[in-house]
Amino acid sequence: MSLLAVSNLTKRYRRGGKTIAAVDDVSFHVDPGETLALAGPSGSGKSTIARLVLRLIEPDDGRIEFESDDFLALRRAALRARRARLQMVFQDPLAAFNPRATVARVLDDPLRIHGIASRAERPRRIAALLERVGLTADLAPRAIHEISGGQRQRVAIARAIATKPSLIVLDEAVSALDVSVRGEILELLLDLQRQEKIAYLFISHDLGVIRSIAHRVILLDAGRVAENGDARTVIDAPQSAIGKALVAAAPRLNRAGP
Amino acid sequence: MSALRRFLRTPEAVAGAILLAVLIAMALSASLLFPGDPQAIAGPALLPPFQDWSLPLGTDRLGRDVLAELFHGARTSLAVGLAAAAAALVVGAVVGTLAGFAGGLVDEVLMRITDAFQTVPSFLLALAFVSVVGPSLGVVAIALGTWTGPARVARAEVLSIRERDYVAGARVIGMHPLAIAFREVLPNALPPVLAMSSVIVAAAILTEAALSFLGLGDPNRVTWGGMISEGRAVLRTAPFLSIVPGIALVLTVLGVYLAGEGIVETTAVRRGLS
Repeated sequence: MSLLAVSNLTKRYRRGGKTIAAVDDVSFHVDPGETLALAGPSGSGKSTIARLVLRLIEPDDGRIEFESDDFLALRRAALRARRARLQMVFQDPLAAFNPRATVARVLDDPLRIHGIASRAERPRRIAALLERVGLTADLAPRAIHEISGGQRQRVAIARAIATKPSLIVLDEAVSALDVSVRGEILELLLDLQRQEKIAYLFISHDLGVIRSIAHRVILLDAGRVAENGDARTVIDAPQSAIGKALVAAAPRLNRAGP
Repeated sequence: MSALRRFLRTPEAVAGAILLAVLIAMALSASLLFPGDPQAIAGPALLPPFQDWSLPLGTDRLGRDVLAELFHGARTSLAVGLAAAAAALVVGAVVGTLAGFAGGLVDEVLMRITDAFQTVPSFLLALAFVSVVGPSLGVVAIALGTWTGPARVARAEVLSIRERDYVAGARVIGMHPLAIAFREVLPNALPPVLAMSSVIVAAAILTEAALSFLGLGDPNRVTWGGMISEGRAVLRTAPFLSIVPGIALVLTVLGVYLAGEGIVETTAVRRGLS
């Protein structure tokens, strides 16, 4: 039984009288505890898919089944309650938080909204969350803009795991971080997946990162699935034209010698 | 450098703050320095200023102490002006946030109502309201014509803020839309709205004076507008009766405006640096 099953998902935009399909008849599934990567060039629809799956935007057509329920049928309070199981980490960790927020407030919100911990218990839970993502509890009273980019992304991950989700959508979650921090965050994500059996929908344009973290990959081109399969197999020997182009464009250190 | 020190380095802002401080001191000390009814007769009628030092600014047509009236009038001007401006800012910010955040039909309806209020000159609106409801709700009458500006500014700001990632993030963690609008979006949309407050307070004080001048103010309270109106009858023989409260009004509006602009400037610089 898959955790998330997306079928025939379609989202069209109207631009200057012409209708453009940003996502065109896309189907895929994510199993519990696995990482599915969505890759593709800019404009291929990968971020749109992320937003559709999270119901930040509504699809024109298609079905989304999450934890065996029709996710698109959920409304208002029922949808807000179910959001606890399906979380997201954004690309830019500074833009993802209210500029006035403190670390404690950011982590307090999900605990309060979903009634996970009582008011008295929350500071302890916040400290535990911070420690779980490799930060210290004394960071809690700091303002979001005072901490470093890597720390911020750890706080974003702490917010995402606060409600004990079964799936986290990572929309270019490590693309804005510098290389040394990127490795640590990926390590943290792998560790969380091992411990808590969280599935990831990992959206990235970086095939190197995808190869190291994802089990399966879907290559998108102009809103359609171009290729899908085991992450290493696809990236090592892409069959589709867009796959070959992406692999050829990826920077490599070990340049092929004579 | 702290915002306060930057504020103190701006001469206009300091002048405004001093004027405002004098006004507030007048309003607060009115009932201490001039206990009793300021509208009671205190001496001979139409005594010119600087003649009798127990009545330094003289008396009006009915022999009331002009200085006492001036102090008590400061209280009315300040209270009505600030209350009306605060009401306008709160209503405007809430309406603008709801319209910008909800979008669709709610936005259309709220903004057409805003248009309707904006097309009627605000003074005419206040005049109509007071003549129907009576002078006791002068604050509402003044706010009625001034909330549209803050509403439009708030809506424009909210339209850009609601597309930011942190609003999407708040939705993802399951926050209620109203909580998102008022906890996440509104506080971040406020700075440009508050920047309008100095102009709005100044305008509200002037509108209050104008209403009183037309005899539509609260008759049980001394107002500068009412004093000017009273003095008009004897403008040739005793011009000081109109000039004294007129000068007070000009200085007050100037003080509010300069101090308000000073605060906006210093906070804007701080935002720009961070």
